[in-house]
Formats: sequence, C-alpha cells, structure tokens
Amino acid sequence: MIVFLFCTGSARAQDNYEIQVYPSETMAPKTLLIELHSNFTVEGTTTTQFGMLPTEHQAHETIELTQGINDWSEVGFYIFTAAKNGNGIDWVGDHIRPRVRVPPRWHWPVGVSLSSEFGYARPAFSNPTWSWQFMPIVDQSIGRWYWSVNGTMVWNIHVVPPPVIFTPEEKQAYYRDVAPQGVTFGPAATLTYAPSKYYNIGIEYYSYYGQWGNFVSLHNQQQQFFPVVNLFVSPKWEINLGAGWGATAGTDHLIVKGIVGRYFDWSHHRAGGSKSTQ
Amino acid sequence: MNRRTFIAQAGAAVAGAALVSSASDWPPSKPDVQLEIAPLTLEIARGRVVHTVAYNGRVPGPLIRWPEGKPIVIAVVNRTSIPEIVHWHGLEIPSEMDGAAEEGSPMIPPGAEFRYAFTPRPAGFRWYHTHSFAGHDLKRGGYTGQFGCFYIERKSQAGAYDQEIFLTLHDWNAYLVAGSDSSMDAGYDYSTIDDRMLGFGDPLKVCGGQRILLHILNASASLIHWLALAGHELTVVAMDGNPVPAPSSVPAIRLAPAERLDVVVTMNHPGIWILGETRDEMRKIGMGIVVEYANQHGKPRWIDPPETSWDYRRFAKPQATIREPDQIIPLRFESKFHGQGAVASWTINGKSFPNTDTITLREGQRYRLQMINRSGDDHPLHLHRHTFEVTTLNSQPLAGLNKDVVIVPAKTTGEVDFVANNPGATLFHCHNQTHMDFGFMALFRYV
Repeated sequence: MIVFLFCTGSARAQDNYEIQVYPSETMAPKTLLIELHSNFTVEGTTTTQFGMLPTEHQAHETIELTQGINDWSEVGFYIFTAAKNGNGIDWVGDHIRPRVRVPPRWHWPVGVSLSSEFGYARPAFSNPTWSWQFMPIVDQSIGRWYWSVNGTMVWNIHVVPPPVIFTPEEKQAYYRDVAPQGVTFGPAATLTYAPSKYYNIGIEYYSYYGQWGNFVSLHNQQQQFFPVVNLFVSPKWEINLGAGWGATAGTDHLIVKGIVGRYFDWSHHRAGGSKSTQ
Repeated sequence: MNRRTFIAQAGAAVAGAALVSSASDWPPSKPDVQLEIAPLTLEIARGRVVHTVAYNGRVPGPLIRWPEGKPIVIAVVNRTSIPEIVHWHGLEIPSEMDGAAEEGSPMIPPGAEFRYAFTPRPAGFRWYHTHSFAGHDLKRGGYTGQFGCFYIERKSQAGAYDQEIFLTLHDWNAYLVAGSDSSMDAGYDYSTIDDRMLGFGDPLKVCGGQRILLHILNASASLIHWLALAGHELTVVAMDGNPVPAPSSVPAIRLAPAERLDVVVTMNHPGIWILGETRDEMRKIGMGIVVEYANQHGKPRWIDPPETSWDYRRFAKPQATIREPDQIIPLRFESKFHGQGAVASWTINGKSFPNTDTITLREGQRYRLQMINRSGDDHPLHLHRHTFEVTTLNSQPLAGLNKDVVIVPAKTTGEVDFVANNPGATLFHCHNQTHMDFGFMALFRYV
C-alpha cells in the first residue's frame, strides 16, 4: 500500500520542472527562445520517498533554450534546478529535445508535430533518471479558441532499483506503480480562449496514467488542472501564469507556475529590409 | 452588409441598367481589345499545376499598349460562373469605367460581356486586374491570374534603352496561415515571374552593353516582394508609371502589391544570372527568372545583394517644398482581432467598409490624406482614379514622388497630397486582398 502512495512523488517529479503544453508550431529559423519555467509546490509530498526529496515547498527553476532550425524543426535544451529551504539550489538534470512538424504548406487541417526528449535527472529528484520521451502534438486554432493535445509517452531507460528489503510482491508493485521500466503514458492538453490579441485564458491538463497496458488506478494516477493566462504583451515576449490543482491522491495538490520567454532573432536582418521575412 | 453583399447589390443594379450585354452578342462591332475571363489550368513548373482564372488563357493577360489620349474600347466577356469586374489601375477615368463596384462600375455577370470605353491617361506603366471580392475563398479575386500590364505611351517616347521587358510577380495557391499581427493571413505555395517558377521559363536574353528597361509589376494579392539581379545594379527611373525626380541605383528593389517600378539595367557583367527575390525561401518557391547574356553558358548564378532598406526619399526631390493642402483628411487604420485562428477585420477611423464614413471632396481642392497606421502590418494604400504626391513618410518630408500606391509601415504615419480633379466616386483601400475584403476601404465622393 505504501508503494501506491509513494508513486505520487516519483512519477510526477520530472514533469514538474517544465509544466507546459506544447503547440505544434516550431521556432522560426535563426530564432532563439529563452524561457524560464518557475513553479512552486504549495501542497505536495512531505516525506522523502525512495530517496526522493519531498516536493512540498520545493521551487523548480528550469531554463529552456529553443532554437529554430528551419520552418519545420527546432531543438530545445533544458537545465533543471530545484531549491528548498535548508537544501539550497540543486542541479537536477538536463534534457535535449529535437522536434519536427508538418510544414504549413502541406495544408493539414490541424497542426501536427513530433517531439523527442532525451536526458538525465538526478535520482534525488526524478525516477527514472535516464528517460526518452516521445510526444505527438496536435493542435488547432478556431477563431478565438485554441486547443492542443500532447500525447506524452516516456521510455524509462533507467529507474532507481527498489530497496533490497522489499519482498518480491513489493518489488513487483514498485516496478508497476512507482518506476515502470517500460513506456509510460501521460497526456496533456490545453484549451484557451482569446478575448484579445494581447492575452488568452484557458485551462491546461496534465496527467500520468502509468505504464502502457498496465495503468495505475485512478486514485494513484496524476490528474492535474491548471487555470492559466497567457500574455502576449510584445512580439518578443511570452508569459504564462497558472495555478494547478491536483484532482487525485497521486497528484501534488497545489502548484503555482510561471513561464517567461524572450525571443532573440539571430538573423540580424533589418525589419522590413530585403532579407527580412517580417 | 459586408463587401460581398455590397458588390452583389451594386452589380445587380447596374446589370439591370442594361450596361451589360449577353456574350452571344460578341462582337457587335469590333472593340480595340478583347478580354475573356475564364478558368485556366496553368503549369508553372514541370509537374506543378495551378487551377486559376485568367484573361485570354494566359498569365499575365495580354499587354495593352495604347497611345495617351486616344479613346479605347475594351470588351470583356466573363466565362466564369461568378460575377467579375476589371479595374484599370492607375488610370484617371470615370467611376463607371474604373472597374470597382463600390464606385458604381458594373459587375459582369457569368456569360455576359461589358465594354469599357475610356480615354487612357496619364501616360506610363498602369495595369489591370480583377477587383472582385475573395473573402475566405482564396481561389478568387486577386489570388487568381486575373492581371495584365497596361502601358500608356507618351506622345514622345524617350527611348533611352535597347530592350524593354514587362515582368509580373505573382503568388499562387494561397492558404491561411498565422500572420504577423496575431491573426490569420495569406501564405502561398508557389511564386512566379509571369507564368513560370524560377528555372522553368524562357530566360531573358540580353547582350553585353545593352540598356534594358524593365517594367516590373507586383501583382501579388498580399505579399511585398524584393528583387535583385545578381551582379547588377538597378536604376529606378519611374514608380507606378510616373518618372521619379531623382533616378537612383540600388542593389535591390521593393514592390508592394500593386506597385510598379520602371528600372534600367546596364548589362555590363556577362554571364548567366538570376533576377530573383532576395529572400532565399521566396526564390525556392519560384520567384525568379534567368537572365542570359548572348554567347554565355553555364548554370544560372545568384549573388546575394547587400541587405537593403527601402526609402522612397532616395528617389524624391532632394528639397521637399510642399504646398499646404486645402484640407487634411485623417485616416486611422486599426485591426479588429477575431482570434488567432481567424482573419482580422480592418477599420478606417473605427469603421469597416461599407460602414466607413464617406469622405467628401470638392473639385479643384488639394487634399492631404494623413494615414495613421496603428496596426502591426505594413499597408500598401491605393487611391483610385487619382495620382497623389507622397509628402511625408516616417515623419520625414518628401516631394516630387507621384504614385497611386504607397506603403505606410506599421505604427507610422504617412501623408499624400492629391488634387480632386476627377469627379466621381473614388475608392481608397489597402491593396492587400485580405485586408480590403475585410473592411479596409473607404469611399470618397465629390460634392
């Protein structure tokens, strides 16, 4: 039973470093986006579980760099950090994330892209440590409405072994519910409405269902809902603010998050000039 | 009422006035020029076909060369399934012949013929094109191949050139894509110079030492284009058909939708070159043409010109002394957001056409249009049936530049002066087809 409770901290931990639903659009060529993902767990786990630190009152700061390659691909790079009173600031890990999309000239009715994220996170903060994420993304804008679905699948390449004192049954439950060795599934989605071109409001959904073919019970799944606001105050900036409510026992109960991003144009072309695409 | 219903009602009213005859009457007496509007399947490159509508089965439509001051009759028959209309862009002719339903020109019903009769003026490089509504149907209106060059010859031609070539730029297969101002705008699959993508048409054949006069028209429905001829400078001698006070050489030229440039090139760099869009991605989708010197062989070469900014003042009088107008007409342009997944609508002084305020003019008065662009887009503004003088751009005065289309960049104010010398309803609008279809128009009326 204790294993089921513990799964709340382990499976969720990595995702809580960059809480974001992706659009299908990729970064424009020769454009770099630098984002700071900040989130703070107001109400989460309070005890160390399988060597993982408690999440409550833990602050996560993630720097994400995304560089556009061409009009259908980009590469992202993450630096994850965590801070907690008494523990200082810790480097958590790094991921790299190439992403490709269906170019607009294919005229698909929805935007489609495929993200692949690979990297490492320290066992004190994440289980698995090494992971490879595949994520098909589908989205669409219809008038003022926008929706996006991210079908997040993670291959847990290396998971922390269970304590040696576990019985075979407990070990089996551990690999099923806490640290599956196969591919896990946790879709995310968003729906927003834009009253103005300067902001939209909406809801984001994040989840963790467990291992493919062997989902954990609803009670122990992660089901998290974030009312959000996205601000478009300038073409050079993006801001996302939200507060997330965990709907199951397996989810941190309250997280607040913010993303601040700044675009940098490396083309050095003058706006409106003979090489500018703007 | 939107522009579509406005046009439909205007067309119906005029058709009822029997200005339009059945195509079966063709031709009761021979007109000077015949244009047939009909669907066309056009192969713009090997295996790349666009389905469009064009004049006389070709793109661009036939070049109309006509002496200034000599009356002309142009018979237009509409072989399509929707009402059409032909606008004579840059000509100072009566409203009912101008080819804009908003001014009172008749729409030509399917299967019918209409005869435009007018005396072409002023001399210079003009053009003709459809002025019909497209809206969300990006296979209509300015997105089609309905355009052609109209050259009104001066009574005395300068003739300081060895070869004269007309070139038209166009973009094909439009689709809606996220635009620069948080709304949807038109993107395109292909671009062509005349009817061919780069590498698939006949080259322009020149000889070393020749002076070539290029008449270049941007007939795109919505895109601004930059052009350069690798290894050569381009000397701009006229804009929108009107000689510029200070012809200047530039490494690249910019043309907004509907703008025309007359450019002289001295062919002093033998080889096989590309005259093409300065932006790689635009050349890749076809915007370019090969220029081939006699007795030269090899693959066409492209050399990136130095990055160029466009400044109209370079071609204007060095000293700007502008006569004060009798009246200043402020025109404030703003977009109305309908969602990132929708096309924005546009307002002039807070209202979208046909609800925009009608502006009244008195014959003989000099007016200044103070165009305040509060949007995030650059707009090519066009005044029908009149020529204006550009007097201020980006807070800088200028003089002597006579045009009928001018770009007012985003978040700036531009001013143009014109004399109300051609009574009749006169349309003013952005020449971006999406913008004009979604409200960016106003009507001027003489009192």
